[in-house]
Amino acid sequence: MSLRLETIRECLEGIIPGHIATCDREGMPNLAYLSQVEFIDNEHVALSYQFFNRTRQNVLADSPVRLLLTSHLTGAQYRLTLHYLRTEAAGPLFERMRAKLAGIASHTGMAGIFQLLGADIYRVLSIEQVPGETVPPPPPPVNCLNALRRTVDRLATCNTLECLLEKAVDCLEKEFGIAHLMLLMHDEARGRLYTLASRGYPESGIGSEIPVGAGVIGICARERTPIRIGFTNSEYAYGRTVRDGIAADGQADALETAIPLPGLPDAASQMAVPISVAGRLLGVLYVESVSDLHFGYDEEDALVTFAAQLGLAIVHHQPADDLPDEPAGTEEAAPAVAGTPLTIRHFAATDSVFIDDDYLIKGVAGAILWVLLSDFAERRRTSFTNKGLRVDSRIRLPGVSDNLEARLVLLQRRLEERDAGIRLTKTGRGRFSLAIDHPLQLLES
Amino acid sequence: MLDHDNAAFIQTGVSISLAACNVDRLPCMSRGLGCKLIDGGRQIAIFIKRSQSAELLENICNTGRVANVFNLPSSNRTLQLKGDDAQILPFDPADLPVIESHIPHFLDEVIPFGMQENMVRALFACTVDDLVTVVYTPNAAFTQTPGPKAGDPLGTAS
Repeated sequence: MSLRLETIRECLEGIIPGHIATCDREGMPNLAYLSQVEFIDNEHVALSYQFFNRTRQNVLADSPVRLLLTSHLTGAQYRLTLHYLRTEAAGPLFERMRAKLAGIASHTGMAGIFQLLGADIYRVLSIEQVPGETVPPPPPPVNCLNALRRTVDRLATCNTLECLLEKAVDCLEKEFGIAHLMLLMHDEARGRLYTLASRGYPESGIGSEIPVGAGVIGICARERTPIRIGFTNSEYAYGRTVRDGIAADGQADALETAIPLPGLPDAASQMAVPISVAGRLLGVLYVESVSDLHFGYDEEDALVTFAAQLGLAIVHHQPADDLPDEPAGTEEAAPAVAGTPLTIRHFAATDSVFIDDDYLIKGVAGAILWVLLSDFAERRRTSFTNKGLRVDSRIRLPGVSDNLEARLVLLQRRLEERDAGIRLTKTGRGRFSLAIDHPLQLLES
Repeated sequence: MLDHDNAAFIQTGVSISLAACNVDRLPCMSRGLGCKLIDGGRQIAIFIKRSQSAELLENICNTGRVANVFNLPSSNRTLQLKGDDAQILPFDPADLPVIESHIPHFLDEVIPFGMQENMVRALFACTVDDLVTVVYTPNAAFTQTPGPKAGDPLGTAS
């Protein structure tokens, strides 16, 4: 094949609809417009199957298939010869296409009419460029490969998980020019994702949650596949509307709803990328923009690679807890402090913690905080280790994949944002200290 | 075959595509640059670029069977016509105004979707000596506007 499909992927975005030609058994041609072509690899594409029409009848009757695709950037046209292989009606490819099609349908006034029934997978037999005038493509807004290289260089300088997460979101913002983004971690035991870092929103939303399977972020997590949508659409709203729907269905159970999920109310482009290592989902990167088609295949490639690198780095920083703890310095009991006491209330059923009646956090991070504060209140203890938390029966960590380090970062950030005079500070590998500026009154409910 | 409404429709700012198959059922297609009604719509003339259509023209020579789709981007209204008597005729320069007037109508349709005018004009860039006319008698017509009626025939040949 002289032309590689990966070099003409802009033709597949559906901005200029492709044409598909087939032939019936009697030799009569048939033409139709295509909503969507999905790049799989250089030898395979998937077409959206939405209606049982003449095209599909011909394809199932062994018709050869030709596509005419046009680049919206250059006007270049390409003819592809395809051979039908199979149809998938579930799974990552199907979900990727269904989400993208929802955006295309909304953009073209076909919301509610375009419904994906299947992803028809074809082998690409040949690609030829149609002779004709073209225009030079506009320069891309970002050189994704170079941005990726600089990002990876910067991540390599981090020696703590906290630094890594901070650099990760910083690089997405500064190197990739992405103005609105979130980093969410996976709580495997509860089937949730919780926001650990964000950029570009009035409120950070740290600690806010979304269930696996809900919206763009949740589907990305469930299917372990990138989800990218180019146009505003209501079907894949990931934010409050999704959570409101879950609450209305009575499925909210332990879903964190007190902390608003950040997000653009009028996002046009959305992309969620899973962070996975060795088949295990660690989290999801989510980016969005108010511009149509802000993220293309190149941005998707770059963020998928970035997420893979980030995932390995996260795993690299987790096992540090299993290494011998650094020797503790001389632990001095915290001096007594005066002033108005902080009332800390703990609800054991959900491990929710409130400071002076203001909600702070729940779940594992809530349980950790309660243990730290209890030890402080009883023994004026201020120095703690990750290893100690892991074996502490009061916390009930969900097992080896507990992401303890990430939960400590979450707790640390929630405390910083609350600014109530309770702080966690990392003091070494697997070791941190607690500082409290007020007397405490602990209440168990 | 074509009522007044559809006859008028195919002469608006539609995207046009024309296809024909070889004897092994392998289809080929090209973009149409414009179209013209002949004899009050009994026949349709489609203008295409010869340099882009060698395989399509060979298929038409061998089979005479064509499929022709017209799609209006702003409404998604789509019509497919078919014929089995297609012929290839030299382009008549007197038809050039048909193409020239089609381009601004098409631009009005696609610029709201974010298309750049210079890119669209490149799609339609042509020289008279590269143009060729394909004429056929439509004997079947189908609505292909997405929705429950997609694929329904509008009528059959008399």
